[in-house]
Amino acid sequence: MFNFPAPTIDWVIIAPTMIVSITGLLALCLEMIWPKRDNTWIIGVSLVGLIMAAVSVVAQFSYPEATTFSDTVIRDRFALVMQLLLIVAAFCSLLFSESYLRDKRISYGEFYPIILWSLVGGMVMVTTRNMLLMFLGIEILSIALYVLAGLSRSESKSEESALKYFLLGSFASGFLLYGVALLYGATGSLDISAIASAWPRADLMHQTLLVFGFGMVFVGLGFKSAFVPFHQWTPDVYQGAPTNVSAFMAAGSKIGALAALWRFLEGAEGMKAIWMPALTVVAILTMTAGNLAALVQKDAKRVLGYSSISHAGYILVGILAHFAAPDKVGFGSLAYYLLSYTLMTVGAFAVVSLGANKGKEGTKFEELRGLWRRSPFAVACLIVFVASLIGIPLTSGFAGKFMIFGDALKANLTVLAIALAINSILSVAYYLQMIKAMFVDDVEGDEVIEKRPVSLGMTTVCALCAGGIVAAFIFTPVVIEFLVGKS
Amino acid sequence: MEGNQSFNLIWLVLGFPLFGFLIQSLLGKRIEKAFGRRVAGFLAVIPIVAAFGVAVLLTKQLAGMDATQRAEVGVVQTLFSWIKIASINIPFEVRIDTLSMTMVLIITGIGSLIHLYATGYMAEEKDYTRFFTYLNLFIAAMLILVLGNNLALLFIGWEGVGVCSYLLIGFWYKDLANSRAANKAFIVNRIGDVGLTVGMFLLVVLLAGNKDKLGIDGASGRWLSYDVMLPHLGELLKGNPGMTTAIALCLFVGACGKSAQFPLYLWLPDAMAGPTPVSALIHAATMVTSGIVLLNRMNIVFQMSPVASAIVCIVGAFTALFAALIAFGQTDIKKVLAYSTVSQLGFMFMACGAGAYWVGMFHVTTHAFFKALLFLGSGAVIHAMAHNQDMRNYGKLFKYIPITAVTMFIGYFAIAGIPGLSGFFSKEAILGYALANDHAQISGVNFSYIVGWVGLGVAMLTAFYMTRMTLLTFNGKTEQWRSIEPHHHDEHDHAHDDHGHHDHAHHAHEDHGPDEHGFFYTDEELAAQPHEHEHHHDLDKNHTPHEVPVSMWVPLVVLGVLSAGGGYVLANNHLFEHWLYPNGLSVLKELEEHPHHLPGGLSLMAYSIIAAGLGIVFGAIIYFRGLPKKEGWDESKWSPFRRAARDQFGYDNAMVSASVDGGRDLATFSWRGLDATVIDGAVNGSGWLATGIGKVLGWLQNGFIRAYAAGMLLGGVAILGYLAYALFTGVKK
Repeated sequence: MFNFPAPTIDWVIIAPTMIVSITGLLALCLEMIWPKRDNTWIIGVSLVGLIMAAVSVVAQFSYPEATTFSDTVIRDRFALVMQLLLIVAAFCSLLFSESYLRDKRISYGEFYPIILWSLVGGMVMVTTRNMLLMFLGIEILSIALYVLAGLSRSESKSEESALKYFLLGSFASGFLLYGVALLYGATGSLDISAIASAWPRADLMHQTLLVFGFGMVFVGLGFKSAFVPFHQWTPDVYQGAPTNVSAFMAAGSKIGALAALWRFLEGAEGMKAIWMPALTVVAILTMTAGNLAALVQKDAKRVLGYSSISHAGYILVGILAHFAAPDKVGFGSLAYYLLSYTLMTVGAFAVVSLGANKGKEGTKFEELRGLWRRSPFAVACLIVFVASLIGIPLTSGFAGKFMIFGDALKANLTVLAIALAINSILSVAYYLQMIKAMFVDDVEGDEVIEKRPVSLGMTTVCALCAGGIVAAFIFTPVVIEFLVGKS
Repeated sequence: MEGNQSFNLIWLVLGFPLFGFLIQSLLGKRIEKAFGRRVAGFLAVIPIVAAFGVAVLLTKQLAGMDATQRAEVGVVQTLFSWIKIASINIPFEVRIDTLSMTMVLIITGIGSLIHLYATGYMAEEKDYTRFFTYLNLFIAAMLILVLGNNLALLFIGWEGVGVCSYLLIGFWYKDLANSRAANKAFIVNRIGDVGLTVGMFLLVVLLAGNKDKLGIDGASGRWLSYDVMLPHLGELLKGNPGMTTAIALCLFVGACGKSAQFPLYLWLPDAMAGPTPVSALIHAATMVTSGIVLLNRMNIVFQMSPVASAIVCIVGAFTALFAALIAFGQTDIKKVLAYSTVSQLGFMFMACGAGAYWVGMFHVTTHAFFKALLFLGSGAVIHAMAHNQDMRNYGKLFKYIPITAVTMFIGYFAIAGIPGLSGFFSKEAILGYALANDHAQISGVNFSYIVGWVGLGVAMLTAFYMTRMTLLTFNGKTEQWRSIEPHHHDEHDHAHDDHGHHDHAHHAHEDHGPDEHGFFYTDEELAAQPHEHEHHHDLDKNHTPHEVPVSMWVPLVVLGVLSAGGGYVLANNHLFEHWLYPNGLSVLKELEEHPHHLPGGLSLMAYSIIAAGLGIVFGAIIYFRGLPKKEGWDESKWSPFRRAARDQFGYDNAMVSASVDGGRDLATFSWRGLDATVIDGAVNGSGWLATGIGKVLGWLQNGFIRAYAAGMLLGGVAILGYLAYALFTGVKK
């Protein structure tokens, strides 16, 4: 019989994950105790749980790096920051969920536990270097999202979105798992760092295994991050899924996937001469295809979907810059960019979700006309989000893009830097369409949009995100120091 | 001396007006509603008076310091770190020295009086608190301008007063002419600001390139602060004569804009469209003197550049002469004073050009006294005459408004240069320094001597046209307004109702003519404007002028006393000179004060007394009995000279035509020729291309899972294929 030694457990390291899991359970219990009651308590518990998790993350900033569960769960600055970003994404998405779900007439209480567990999956992904655990994290995150995408059961769009996401996601998981198997075969270990040590000693046979394994895993993670050519699900799924789910999907699953990719590339740094050109091409394609396709879209959620693709491309540039020149470029720009991306994307989705009313939701530009009459404040905040998505100064989107641009130049990735700059210009057109729809194209004739009170959660999320974006710009150095620590 | 505790009070001087501004802007309307106008007005006056009180205390304290220390080093107080980029550190800091405190006293002192006056003058206006909001903000901005310890802060104040000036000129914004005047002032000032900014940047370039050499980098990057920069600037400029002249001229362009010198003077006469207290405070006593303050502050640059100094002299003298001549063609009492302001500012620049910077400041001070007095006096006259500003309607007002008349006569004698009054001393000093020195030279020609004589001539003209103004108003044979037939109008029973809209509209339309260039309004909008000036004349033969209320004549009396005695006190024993420049100038050292060997063997004093006397006598001969026929209502019978003077010798029209029409042609070209064809073509072309590719991508996005999966598979295969290729062809290191 096998005789495993029981792993030592450092509860502090896994405290954030545990807190979020238990919060999810509590939320579920509340839903069971008071079915069909309003969800105020559930939301309250969820938000408090998230805040506690965030506190437990920040409290560990000063702790030394450590591992637990037989080196499968790690605590380093990167893991902590990524967890924090995930929590922020979930927190902001939750804030505006209730009013939106009510407007859409799908205010099921189970939404809250599921999204919390989805968050757990993301947190697992970013706190491990073990490929199997990473896979588990991805699946926890994804399966929860598959369910949530289909939350609006009466809408065929939502059903289609869930199914599409599920089928393609499974396909990608196949790639990922196959890649993990190949890597395990080549190194005899599930730890990513084993790749680094195996590569220099490998003969051609093992090198082939490693390279193919790397490629397969990249396809799997590329799907989650929505890199071209694995991106095509993104607009369809974002459009079909309930808007608050799309918000978390765009922010949360991307943070998880990109953080996992970062870890993975750390292990595969030894063979960067091989993968760097391929990933450079992927980055350029991702930025460009996302922006070009967005130009002809007529639906706000699809635009945000394509926008998230191109932003994934920008972030990939930042990641590549780090691996091209690890001494000069840290993960500060990546973390800052992800923070700013989270705030602006969730904020933008929140404002778009105002299109929902009486069980219906219009997200096409023509259906969003004159939205500012409904909620001047929220739509005014949208201007900040869009300015940030475009990368206009006074917003963190500008600072983030600027830093990635600088990183790319520092790392001599001139081609990527140029592609990024050109794409920034391209993106202006379709983002402005969104503003134009809500502000300039007013409703005509007897169509009257009455001003409806906007929920406190919506106001809070708009204020938080818009304020955060501006503050993060003003205090850029402070924010980066907070994220990566004093160097 | 940095951070000297005992000068901390300076923040109160800055803070009080700012606080007043906040009160007026945020709570003004409510206070006015709850407690009435008096309280609201009172709350606007108090901060300025308090600031003046504190400023007096600080000045006393400053006076107790060593003369050199207080004038050349001053006290620097830092509030917070403002701009910090790389090796530049520009804190928010003020410099308390004799120059800045002199200006602070003028600004808050005269400012208090004018605020007090305005509470009476504006008592019937609609937007009472809005007026005081702007006025308080103006004081705060002006204080920043003079107190700032670096050019960046000066610039903040510079633009701040510009904005306030714009807001106040356009205070009666519903009137087309007032808005136009405000726009004009703002736009013309921008031209000056370009000069100022370029000058500042040139200075920064010069300093940045040489800061190591001078060892001023040590002061924690504060190398743009006056106290760090100025002591070293002379040495630095010596090595770069071309740069020095360029900086000096650029700064002078800025000064020309704000201080209304030719060719940028043309906004100031139009600025008289604003309420009279504004004309007095901003456009006579304080803001327009900021050019002189700038020249004093940066005097080292001008000391190092005789060429720039000569240009300053020439421009100043020409402006003085030109504006004095125009004043003869004006019938609006405020316009006369406006041109006289432009002319007096020219005198100040003559002094600065000649190297006598302190004299420039001296004239700023005395001019602040008597010009504020004259403006407020004219305001009292206008107030008494139902807001009619045309001097041709006045006459024999002395017996109706004696206090106003007496104080205005003091102001008139002061500006005319009657010995013993304040204007005499400062003008004497200007002419003396100009005639006696030779700093302002271009290739050996001593321009300061030439402009000295021109100045003497202008002094005579000044006495002449001021006599004209005063006599037309207070003397004469008949009470001219008695010949105006009353017009009947339905809506307005009382002469004072809504005067802001009607009478100002009336005069402004007369003065500016229609908006022929369509610069501000289209024809349709113009046609839609109510023709208010056709309505009525409030001033008619049944009108009886009344003396102004106490809140208005008290400032007049105070200013009258200052105008009479201020010059003597300050000039006595070189008090003012040694206050500002105890050791003379850093480069030019002590300048000659009195010219020797003037032709005819007479002293300068004799010459200037003769000039003033001649001016007054000429004026009295022509105007003592009232308006001569050839200056009467029928302007077509005016002499050609007077008509030309009325139209500013065509200068204003030419400038407006050139800039507006020329600007429109340029804009049309860049629109049709450049934008519509070249740029739009490129933009539309690239947009078309991008959209086309987007459409293709959209077509790929067909929604079928099988297609997406195939895409992923192909992509995966491509990546794996490339990786294998790279591996086997040995791309790896």
